[in-house]
Amino acid sequence: MTDKLLHAPPDLDLFADDRPRLPDALSRRIDADPESVERGLAQLVLTIVELLRQLMERQALRRIDGGTLSDDQVERLGQTFMELDKRMEELRTEFGLEAEDLNLNLGPLGNLLDP
Amino acid sequence: MIELYAITDHPTPPLPQVAPLRLVATGDLAAICAPAGDDGVSADALWRHEAVVEALMEQRDLLPVRYGTRFDDEDAAARAVEARRDDLAMALDRVRGAVELSLRVIEPGAPQAGDGASYLRDRRRQEDARRALHEPLAAVARAAMTRPSPDRSELLRAAYLVDRDAVEQVTGLIAQLQAANPTLRLLCTGPWPAYSFAEA
Repeated sequence: MTDKLLHAPPDLDLFADDRPRLPDALSRRIDADPESVERGLAQLVLTIVELLRQLMERQALRRIDGGTLSDDQVERLGQTFMELDKRMEELRTEFGLEAEDLNLNLGPLGNLLDP
Repeated sequence: MIELYAITDHPTPPLPQVAPLRLVATGDLAAICAPAGDDGVSADALWRHEAVVEALMEQRDLLPVRYGTRFDDEDAAARAVEARRDDLAMALDRVRGAVELSLRVIEPGAPQAGDGASYLRDRRRQEDARRALHEPLAAVARAAMTRPSPDRSELLRAAYLVDRDAVEQVTGLIAQLQAANPTLRLLCTGPWPAYSFAEA
């Protein structure tokens, strides 16, 4: 597949952790198996939480730009988002979800988490 | 069982001899299929499917069909195309004359924030860097989409729908962006069938 490289850095192996995910290539269908229903529900809930987290993080950055926050407040906000970020990653791992799974295709509106 | 590879215009140039391909025409659209193998799901089967779609796209505009889409017979495939004719025709128009390029950008050794303020500063810096890369590319592409990154070291994961004759221009731009951002690593692959833009 090297003929598909249009632009590659010399240290290409930095990208090598990208394991192809076969299930991605197959259509995602709702499966009635109880375990996958639970995973599907977790996926949906975590997607919404992730959306809110990103919105709030951007809002926080805007408030910092506005210069209305004290250093102390900025630090506390930052801590909160850092913790949230870490917790989200743990939850994803727990349910076997990748970052890309936490997204919804809204058809003509594009993806929910398409910044 | 038959497996679907692509939806394309009808009539279409002669099919390449990469698989026992058959054309199932309904009006001015056609589905390109082949007898489904029974070798099960595997990475190899996925790449074989991809190779067929890529051979097909050399000669024609098409909507790539996701691996694993199967029908009982050609009549069933024709009915499925017929049922979504308008959507498919519109989607085919969107990707006509274009291919997909994929871009990933990583920042090796991205700093791990220890405190809250530097965490937010890193977010801001990464967001700015990501914009500075994505916006000029999105401007020359016909359409663009980004996907969530698996971790903080990956700044950007995007797909661009690019006119076939603009591929060189875009890769040139990517080389410039790489030169302007020596601490980042840009990986661009393609041209791919327009998987990310083929949603009908």
